[in-house]
Amino acid sequence: MKLSSIKLPVVLTVVFSAAIESAADETAVSRIEIFPNAVTLQGAGARQRVVVQAVTADGATREVTQEAELGFEASGVAAIKNSVLRPVFDGETTLRAKYQGKSAEARIVVVDSMTFEQVRFRLDVMPVLSKAGCNGGACHGSARGQDGFHLSLFGYDPSSDYHSLTRELPGRRINRALPEESLMLKKAINAVAHTGGERFSKESSEYRTLLAWIRNGALDDAGRSPDVVGLTATPTELVLSEDAPTHRLCVTASYSDGSRRDVSKAAVFISNNDRTARVGSEGTVTAGEPGEALVLARYDAFTDGVSVIVFPKGKKDPGSPANAANYVDELIGARLRKLRIAPTAKCDDSTFLRRAYLDVTGRLPTAEQYDSFMNDSGEDKRSRLIDALLQKKEFVEIWVMKWAHRLGIRSTLMVSEKAALLYHGWLQERFGNKVPINRIVGELIAADGGTFTSPATNFYQLEQSPLKLSEHVAQAFLGVRVQCAQCHNHPFDRWTMNDYYSFAAFFSQIGRKTGEDPREMVVFNSGGGDVKHAVGNRVMSPKFLGGPDPKLQGRDRRKVLADWLSDPNNRMFARNVANFAWSHFFGRGIVEPIDDFRISNPPANGPLLDALADRLIEYKYDLRRLVRDICLSNTYQRTLPASTGDNAAEANFAHATVRSLPAETLLDCISQATDVPQKYPGLPLGSRATQIANATVSNYFLTTFGRITIGEGCICPAPPEPSLSQALHLISGDTVNSKIVEGGLIEQWLRKGLTPERIVERLYIRCLTRSPTEKERAGILDALAKATDARPVLTDLFWAILNSKEFVFNH
Amino acid sequence: MTARDSCSCRQFSRSRGPSRREFLYVGLAGGLGLTLPAYLRKVACADQKLPDHKEPVADSIIHIFLPGGMSAQESFDPKPLAPLEYRGPLGVVKTVLPGIVFSDGLPATAKIADRLTIVRSMHHGEAAHERGTHNMFTGYRPSPAVTYPSIGSVVSHELGAKTELPPYVVLPIQSTEFAGSGFLSTRYGPFSLYSDPADKNFAVRDLSLPDGVDHARFKRRQQLLEAVESHFRATSDSDVLTAMDEFYQRAYSILSSESARAAFDLRREPGKLLDDYGRHAAGMRMVLCRRLVEAGVRFVSTTFGGWDHHANIAAGIRGQLREFDQGFSALIRDLDARGMLERTLVMVTTEFGRTPKINRDGGRDHWPRVFSVLLAGGGFHRGLVYGASDATATTVDSDPLSVEDFATTIYNQIGIVADRELMAPGNRPIEIVKGGKVMDDLLAKRA
Repeated sequence: MKLSSIKLPVVLTVVFSAAIESAADETAVSRIEIFPNAVTLQGAGARQRVVVQAVTADGATREVTQEAELGFEASGVAAIKNSVLRPVFDGETTLRAKYQGKSAEARIVVVDSMTFEQVRFRLDVMPVLSKAGCNGGACHGSARGQDGFHLSLFGYDPSSDYHSLTRELPGRRINRALPEESLMLKKAINAVAHTGGERFSKESSEYRTLLAWIRNGALDDAGRSPDVVGLTATPTELVLSEDAPTHRLCVTASYSDGSRRDVSKAAVFISNNDRTARVGSEGTVTAGEPGEALVLARYDAFTDGVSVIVFPKGKKDPGSPANAANYVDELIGARLRKLRIAPTAKCDDSTFLRRAYLDVTGRLPTAEQYDSFMNDSGEDKRSRLIDALLQKKEFVEIWVMKWAHRLGIRSTLMVSEKAALLYHGWLQERFGNKVPINRIVGELIAADGGTFTSPATNFYQLEQSPLKLSEHVAQAFLGVRVQCAQCHNHPFDRWTMNDYYSFAAFFSQIGRKTGEDPREMVVFNSGGGDVKHAVGNRVMSPKFLGGPDPKLQGRDRRKVLADWLSDPNNRMFARNVANFAWSHFFGRGIVEPIDDFRISNPPANGPLLDALADRLIEYKYDLRRLVRDICLSNTYQRTLPASTGDNAAEANFAHATVRSLPAETLLDCISQATDVPQKYPGLPLGSRATQIANATVSNYFLTTFGRITIGEGCICPAPPEPSLSQALHLISGDTVNSKIVEGGLIEQWLRKGLTPERIVERLYIRCLTRSPTEKERAGILDALAKATDARPVLTDLFWAILNSKEFVFNH
Repeated sequence: MTARDSCSCRQFSRSRGPSRREFLYVGLAGGLGLTLPAYLRKVACADQKLPDHKEPVADSIIHIFLPGGMSAQESFDPKPLAPLEYRGPLGVVKTVLPGIVFSDGLPATAKIADRLTIVRSMHHGEAAHERGTHNMFTGYRPSPAVTYPSIGSVVSHELGAKTELPPYVVLPIQSTEFAGSGFLSTRYGPFSLYSDPADKNFAVRDLSLPDGVDHARFKRRQQLLEAVESHFRATSDSDVLTAMDEFYQRAYSILSSESARAAFDLRREPGKLLDDYGRHAAGMRMVLCRRLVEAGVRFVSTTFGGWDHHANIAAGIRGQLREFDQGFSALIRDLDARGMLERTLVMVTTEFGRTPKINRDGGRDHWPRVFSVLLAGGGFHRGLVYGASDATATTVDSDPLSVEDFATTIYNQIGIVADRELMAPGNRPIEIVKGGKVMDDLLAKRA
């Protein structure tokens, strides 16, 4: 039985590789690459897996380590066997790979080739506990441990794990006298009853590592072993045909002493989509159904991801995109090409006009604006339109609203209405004066003074706990959710508990006192106060999230943070702002959800997000210029797809999508179309919902259509999703019906002597930004002919148009 | 583990006899320790048809959720013999069940305890509000990768509407995102009333045609709308559009049905009955729950109060218990009197329990290791106390009830087989509940 199951894959692999070789004639190899491309082998025991990847002209990748011809420039330094490098003697050399006329190189350095390292607890044993799943949440990593034995979840606390192994039940878990009798070993190989079953065999390298450590006295290496400081999984992207052979990955850990080790065998591998890409325990990826997947490698507290695309076998490469308008189209096109997805065509003028008006200004184009755009025969009319729209004050208002929601500007029990209005006014003033976003955020973080006189300080009034504030800052400005790391290292991201508490330390010295007006609070730097780590109660010094160590030198911690956050070259910030901007125009971020940047939640198109961030930095955070790039791309100007359901096409922006309008915009549009302004508490008549300063102000329409809900500290714009309440409100509620009656447009037009046919035309253009089709016109005229009075029929048509999905949604 | 569970792997379920690819897969699986007989067993059970639904015992469910995390010690599981700091400030009252006491805040509920299943051994590991809420609304632990649908949305998805009324209603509003449709289409989301039956002028908005629009004219409006829609609908298709279409259809049928609208009208209840329930939030919400279930809503979910008593629990909980006690006991008596209790499952749940010891502020903090839930009707035993916490309400002493088993049992009674798979985005099949079992011990009549 066992024999047959082992034999089969071998036979079939041979069949597969034979098939590949014949196919290779058709798809020429354009380049090959060695991973990793620089290797240092330190110590006699050092080993390094090597992977050679070939990239064909159509963007597909495949592993050719076996097929490639491998050789060293200098002999006697390193040797390679079964695609694993090992040291021979100290020195340097170059590993060269040749395959189908292409070549690649990797630099090899060998040091300490005569030194044998002992097995160390933190360096060698802890990874075994993770790899074997011992410290997982379902096993001993659970908060209460399992069967009386507790390990820290994913190994976030090695000291405590060392204590559990060596000091609890002395002589049992670890038996220094008879190492093989250690319960730790016997349980793991299931030689004694173990609820978790056999984790590895007696012959495995894991077993040997643990045994060697116990034999050497089961010592702790705290302070003597370097810490892992980073992890790299390569190649960063695999593009595989459905029937491609397996492809291996290399995982390298870098350490605080500058050294690097191959951890390809010790890392834990997980695929987020097993149906598309399965990954074996040693980092071997097998293609499955066409689609996208992310393969994660976890080691120590670090995670890195490899993006895998699997395309349908035999599906032709659609070629590079024609007539790319700018970098957006090029980068979207490159990705679609790998996925073998063809984007939809460019939309017509009226569709573009409506889409652009709604997205850029939150308004419908008027009949005059419609006429002038449709009659404009200039080649560049779309770009002129975008330029004109970007200069409108409504553009600023939309972004003030979006950021106000993100900051959660509102009155609460703690924040007076006056303070909320001043806060919003401050944000509006900064945006209106074209202050770049990075500077606005910098001012916010560093804000001092009274909540009335220096309204940005309301940021510290709305939320006061250092931990919550740091979570909020991370989420709103860096798009990162660090909450998990409050209690344990984030299992699928880079954030550790150290990161969490060090970042929170920036907010530990905020002083607050009541101002002269009891509604006002004064925020100042108290100069004292600390945040302590939940494990061990250490005082944490402030450290940037994923950034360098700060130079505090007695400065106000928040000012130091503000400088880092608002530094034009802070790419985390730039990527987050770029993603926020993008999501407004496509209904979804390149990273989605937009406030959840995470290694295990990669961007749909990494190069595009990088390029947008680069531009934003280059444009000095001038949002207008970035929006211009986005709106002028073909990607923004595509038609809806003929059929939906292709998740990959949608996630990769291959077509336009039907998007819900923000509740405020929809209400503004109904008010605009009916010519009846809505009255909002505290705002003059004629104000639009987009201008509401205090998010606590709402009405039934805004609530039903998904006005943001503001949670504690975290501000989560709830996506407005269709509901029965919305349908009922549009059909019979007072918004649409009363406004049609109140506005009296139909009567006005009839009085002016307009024919019903002209009125139909006007209603269509006014609300839907298009003329009625012949069929529609005929149907409506038919209904009119049947009625004695045109007025109620036209009123009903108005109602129907405002209830149509074409009106209610952006598309 | 059920048979269905062991063949949940889709790789094997569309089998015609192993293809070359699947042969390869077996080879690889061999490396992973799957023996050939195991594989053959999987192939065999893939062909076995399992029913997706079964004959239900309950036609509808009323879910009363107590947000914040209600203390079991101050309600259904008092510890009168524990030391004072564990016992807490409230006394006890005898129930009609011999030897069983409730907190003295629940005298009326104590009198109808013989119609309830009282579970004192519910537990899960989530001590944060949103995570506890997620568990109780979905039957799953929260996952960063998947947004799970609520039980109400799954009921809506699996069983659909019975009458013109929507299958899933929340009142007064959707209190948590976890009561939503999760990865299912939003068309299975709840209908939220946005108005509170406890308000004097309670009326659900927009349920009647606008002034001056009679049925004939409304018909014309619908025809015109169809005409306007057809152009756009011919060029586009998307889930939000389909969902909106369905909501429009449902809205039309509610608007044209007198009986559907009457379901929301509390004025049709006799004043005496409203007094029984109590004219307060708990009473009015619960009586509306009954009306809605009577009119054909499958799943009604309501919330009452705020039970997060970190400080001064005695003062905080008394008033709320009084209203809950009156409303809930009236609901059970009312349902029973109408003969509806057998076919209506009532469940009272909360986020988690509260710490065994009273803290220095006179309150109790979050404690998910053991807490209580109530069930009534829908085939559950009358007068059963299931499971027990230990002497200090620190941990489960006997018969633990997990969230998965709880949800699976609820689903079972309304006729849903909970290890059926739903399709999440990316064609990812996800069981309605993962790894739960139907708890026969709780049931007098199993679906």
